[in-house]
Amino acid sequence: MLQCIFLLSDSGEVMLEKQLTGHRVDRSICAWFWDQADSFKSFPVIASPTHYLFQIVRDGITFLACTQVEMPPLMAIEFLCRVADVLSDYLGGLNEDLVKDNFIIVYELLDEMIDNGFPLTTEPNILREMIAPPNLVSKMLSVVTGNASNVSDTLPSGTGSCVPWRPTDPKYSSNEVYVDLVEEMDAIVNRDGELVKCEIYGQVQMSSQLTGFPDLTLSFANPSVLEDMRFHPCVRFRPWESHQILSFVPPDGQFKLMSYRVKKLKNTPLYVKPQITSDSGACRVSVLVGIRSDPEKTIESITLSFQLPHCVSSADLSSNHGTVTILSNKTCTWTIGRIPSDKTPCLSGTLALETGLERLHVYPTFKVGFKIMGIALSGLRIEKLDLKTIPPRLYKGFRAQTRAGEFDVRL
Amino acid sequence: MFNQFGSTAETLSKASAAVLRIGTDAHLYDDPEDVSIAPLLDSKFESEKCEALKRLLALIAQGFDVSNFFPQVVKNVASQSSEVKKLVYLYLLHYAEKRPNEALLSINYFQKDLGDPNPLVRAWALRTMAGIRLHVIAPLALAAVGKCARDPAVYVRKCAANALPKLHDLRLDEHAPAIEELVGILLNDHSPGVVGAAAAAFTSICPNNFELIGKNYKKLCQILPDVEEWGQILLIGTLLRYVVARHGLVRESLMLSLHGLESNGFYEKDGDKSDSFDANLVSLVSKCYIEGPDEYLSRSNCVDTVAASFDSKETTSVGDNEDVKILLQCTSPLLWSNNSAVVLAAAGVQWIMAPLEDVKKIVKPLLFLLRSSTASKYVVLCNILVFAKAVPSLFAPHFEDFFICSSDAYQVKAHKLEMLSLIATTSSISSILREFEDYIKDPDRIFAADTVAAIGLCAKRLPKIPTTCLNGLLALVRQESFAGDLESVEGEAGVLVQAVMSIQTIIERDPLSHEKVIIQLFRSLDSVKVAAARATIIWMVGVYCSLGHIIPRMLTTITKYLAWSFKSEASETKLQILNTAAKVLISAEVEDFQMLRRIVLYVFELGECDLNYDVRDRTRFLKKMLSYKLACHEPAEDSVASQESIAAQVVEHVFGRKLNPFSPLNLHNRFYLPGSLSQIVLHAAPGYEPLPKPCSFVFEEHDQLSDSDRQREARNDLNGSQESSETVDEDGSSEYDSESYNGSEFSSDGDERNDANDAADPLIQISDVAVSTDPEELRSKMALDLWLDEESSTSNQTPSALDRNQSSYAKISIGDVGSRVKPKSYTLLDPGNGSGLKIDYTFLSEVSTASPLHVCVEVLFQNSSKEPIVEVNLEDEEAMKVSDSAEQTLVGKANASYNNVPTLIPMEELSCLEPGQSAKRLIQVRFHHHLLPMRLNLHYNGKKVPVKLRPDLGYLVIPYSITVEEFLATESRLPGMFEYSRRCAFTDHVKDTRMENGKDKFLSICESITLKVLSNSNLHLVSVDLPVANTLEDATGLRLRFSSKILSSEIPLLISITVEGKCNEDLNLTVKINCEETVFGLNLLNRIANFMVETSSSAS
Repeated sequence: MLQCIFLLSDSGEVMLEKQLTGHRVDRSICAWFWDQADSFKSFPVIASPTHYLFQIVRDGITFLACTQVEMPPLMAIEFLCRVADVLSDYLGGLNEDLVKDNFIIVYELLDEMIDNGFPLTTEPNILREMIAPPNLVSKMLSVVTGNASNVSDTLPSGTGSCVPWRPTDPKYSSNEVYVDLVEEMDAIVNRDGELVKCEIYGQVQMSSQLTGFPDLTLSFANPSVLEDMRFHPCVRFRPWESHQILSFVPPDGQFKLMSYRVKKLKNTPLYVKPQITSDSGACRVSVLVGIRSDPEKTIESITLSFQLPHCVSSADLSSNHGTVTILSNKTCTWTIGRIPSDKTPCLSGTLALETGLERLHVYPTFKVGFKIMGIALSGLRIEKLDLKTIPPRLYKGFRAQTRAGEFDVRL
Repeated sequence: MFNQFGSTAETLSKASAAVLRIGTDAHLYDDPEDVSIAPLLDSKFESEKCEALKRLLALIAQGFDVSNFFPQVVKNVASQSSEVKKLVYLYLLHYAEKRPNEALLSINYFQKDLGDPNPLVRAWALRTMAGIRLHVIAPLALAAVGKCARDPAVYVRKCAANALPKLHDLRLDEHAPAIEELVGILLNDHSPGVVGAAAAAFTSICPNNFELIGKNYKKLCQILPDVEEWGQILLIGTLLRYVVARHGLVRESLMLSLHGLESNGFYEKDGDKSDSFDANLVSLVSKCYIEGPDEYLSRSNCVDTVAASFDSKETTSVGDNEDVKILLQCTSPLLWSNNSAVVLAAAGVQWIMAPLEDVKKIVKPLLFLLRSSTASKYVVLCNILVFAKAVPSLFAPHFEDFFICSSDAYQVKAHKLEMLSLIATTSSISSILREFEDYIKDPDRIFAADTVAAIGLCAKRLPKIPTTCLNGLLALVRQESFAGDLESVEGEAGVLVQAVMSIQTIIERDPLSHEKVIIQLFRSLDSVKVAAARATIIWMVGVYCSLGHIIPRMLTTITKYLAWSFKSEASETKLQILNTAAKVLISAEVEDFQMLRRIVLYVFELGECDLNYDVRDRTRFLKKMLSYKLACHEPAEDSVASQESIAAQVVEHVFGRKLNPFSPLNLHNRFYLPGSLSQIVLHAAPGYEPLPKPCSFVFEEHDQLSDSDRQREARNDLNGSQESSETVDEDGSSEYDSESYNGSEFSSDGDERNDANDAADPLIQISDVAVSTDPEELRSKMALDLWLDEESSTSNQTPSALDRNQSSYAKISIGDVGSRVKPKSYTLLDPGNGSGLKIDYTFLSEVSTASPLHVCVEVLFQNSSKEPIVEVNLEDEEAMKVSDSAEQTLVGKANASYNNVPTLIPMEELSCLEPGQSAKRLIQVRFHHHLLPMRLNLHYNGKKVPVKLRPDLGYLVIPYSITVEEFLATESRLPGMFEYSRRCAFTDHVKDTRMENGKDKFLSICESITLKVLSNSNLHLVSVDLPVANTLEDATGLRLRFSSKILSSEIPLLISITVEGKCNEDLNLTVKINCEETVFGLNLLNRIANFMVETSSSAS
């Protein structure tokens, strides 16, 4: 089991240490870790001379966990991810200052989340009842009165029930439940312009504010498109196995009900046509972006970013629509926004290669970003959402959106 | 002017940042020490305490040692504010091990909190108390865990389960059975949350105690989907281990699939056998899962052993084994879990146990895991790689999932490449190769180099595709050799070297048909500039120098070129040139021989003068070896002279040998269980355990054992509920009080005893004075409230007249018991060790004359040798005078007034002990700790032998004569955490009752229990209660009460023994102790329970 958790800032400073077992871990291990070569340091599981280290990096903060004995490494990594999720949820983001400013909350949360190296309470809804998240009111209160405890005196009722993710008896005057299909499109277009892989990774996100102990069923019109899925613990396996129906008692508030994958899609909504010719130390670049198959909704916030190869010494790029920025680390971002109706956005310009190099032999990969509201590109449709006992004043809502996930266009 | 603006802007931005940070703890983290913390800790305002604690935590977070505040912080543990409490607990846990003495001060607050009606407070107290990890409080913590394991709140029970590994970490051997029993109770809990935590405790405490699992196996399987995700991970592993240990592996599973593969239709239609399945590797994998490190090391290098089969008795089948079926059923829906670790664990079970045709269902869930965080992706890929190595066909149709995204980390990319080259099939290879072409152009050149290597691997696996690969690779070599000019492009050289190596791997399979490729490579030598690539090509010249028709004709030219370029080469290339020259010379044809000989001599001459000593050494070595070739003028000559033929053979052996294509599969790979840390780091991490040996665990199904266990548990539960309600049940039931006896009067020498009592009385009063005059010292040693609680009851107000009165009464009733009390004797020195001198010791019930802290011990010396032994004496070892402060604290009231009394009041020296003679002496000892032995030095015949005098807990108390009313009043003042009970069996009376048929059974039971207790401890028998309604046979309800005071601290200690069972059968006793000194009480309780179980020889 885990022995210690360290939070490291992006400069390698140990911001926080939480010892979990009697075998304490000296923080010199962090210095050792930080001194390793980058290629070694980036491994998620590292065998140091004294400990096994697990790490995840989230928004510049390194979460480092140590153990000396055999344990499932995924358990450690998943737990660290959960900690990072909860912290960024509590603190409204993650960075060095936020962690330092709220170190007490971080300590209290870690103490509730893990006991003796074994995860204790990780359900965010329950944690919120145990330790109040910092908000403006509590901040002001603490300034004015000088004491505002964020530690709850009572045990959240959910911990005792058979549905530990739900407080036993929440009461709302208006009952609301919203279902969101949030999809991400992963696609690879190879150098020949061929669509090698195109799939959807989607989530069913819900926000429920329902009185009492509601029992919901959610069914899809076309569950057969789903390649594979994963469920929140609240989903009962049996109904899904037999009828592909999601039957569950929802947690209170926001949560991710399920995630799914739809493979082998035929088309991407956008096309990206890059061209590069290089001769005698200079390259000409031109990239065209356009709508391939109209999804009947506007495609928003289209961006294109790519890394200029090392051997490019300078770049001169311009576009007929949107803005182009080149950062010092040679990352080039083209922000297009929406595609105008009258023209095809085009990025063009020249790259100067380093002296001595005639032609370009390595080519960048373009990462495409977009967002379409109101549509799930996978074609998955929700048929209906039923409640076993219908409370008074019930509002149900459905939404969908698709955005780009790992959308790579190679040149 | 602008400067001013600039500075204003700066302050403005600072100010805005400050506004954002208002209300947070930012200032505490930034300057935790800007105010003095100590006074804040003592403040009476919660908010100030809170701030001080936050400052301390900030210092801890920044790595400062603030353990010096420990005493002040500990005081605040009593705070009512939950936030202060939480912060104190955080601080305590961080430093408790460093400051054990002060940490002890907090124990009483935890005890109090454990009785709090708020479950959160109970849970926190339990977590912290167990987390403090001090040996001395371990019994207390264990008792607390035992109580909390029956708590009505699920959360508290869960924390109890989590606390068990903490206690286990302390390595308390004597408590191990109790801890394991608690694990069993918690595993049987009806709440899934508790079961998950209990599974975690099980894995870290007793992973091989399959009996606990066996009892609840079906229930655990059913509850598994509802268990919390983290518990699921470990519970899955536990269930798997149990099933393997109980039933063995499954015959139809992949692990035992060596035989009869063709019949089950597992193969894909298009894949050939070697493609879809590597039977050798699979059996190796399954072997690795089961064998421990010892077996792995002892396994002979012989490959055949891999095929060792499992005994058919050790296998089972899904069809007829219910347990296996249930396991597979309950783990398969977990493949949909949201938690990657659960999915991987469930996949591991299916992989090992599922029938071959079902293994496929793990593929999609595993591939779905690849869409998670980078770190998980890497771990999942490592595991998938093992699966794919054994059964490539599982993943072959899903090759697209391993295509590389630009955002993948380097390690993930490398693993995906390996995966792609593993699972490529003839149908998918074209798409994969097209992907590889893309990757070669990737800006990350190390990755590109890996891709080139992967191409080589693919070509090796699929012999039909090399031509396309080779052309691509050759083009790459040509292109790279231009780009290679540019030194600044890092990693470029690596790509080239890999390309050459990949070409070499492809050629190796069938050199003859690739002659032209080889020639092309040789031609490119001029343009290839990278030393490592050149060295490889030059090495190939040597290896393939006699291949085909064209190469031998080119040899002279190539060798000339090499000789010409020799001096400008890097040393690794030079070494290869030398080797190649030697090889060329050996295989040279007659017409070229003279020419080649001169070239080689030239190269050797250059080599001998090289700057690098490796090159010089190699040259001299080769020159010597080839001297016979270099000297002669015709290549055929060497076969003539016999003495030269040996040299020729050696040379032939070294250089002329054909390359052995090395096995693509390294059979000495080690595999670890899927999902384990060891599999990622590729060595057995400490604590890694392979699967248990198949069928190593024999479970007696539905036998008496498990039945009786269940009963016992049921009774335990019942008992637990009785305890928690803390009712004294005798009030309700009609019982009659019997006479009360004074136990001390049972000793044979009653008169002496009385004298001792009289003598002791004034001493006790002195000690009382000492207690009251020195409160400050006490306060620092014991928690304040404990001291206050003690009240004046400890002062001995019992009139001695009453004492006498009662004792005379006792004499009349069962006086004969007294004569049968035989204190147990212990061996101090064995005659074997002491050259014939045998020393036993017995604790006496007398009160010492030296001080109330001393115990009288009678030492019996016996000379069993043939020689007389002279000058026998016992002395205290000097070293013990410096005693540990922690122990001092525990003993508690070792008052200063007795410090001048030596710990050992020595005995009268035995001047001489004749053979066969024995002598008794009396010593008085003050033990430093009630569990630790006292070290003494034994002198005899001028020798010095160290011996250990072990304290008997039963004699570290003195009888405390009180009436039943006083007993009950004291008992009611000591409820809750001051009360402990334990159950044990008692059998002595059975012999007794059979022997004396005429006697009243109850009386004889009372007698034998009393006898047993008084023979082993120094107690006062207060009363014996008998329930009236009982039948003659049923002894249930019989209750004996004993009282005593702790010798060192004079704290009263009450013992009640309640009997349960039939008169003629074994009885179950519940021994209950009420005492403020909980540590001592618990230890004494254990001692009593132990000796009650022992069958005494004296009863006969």
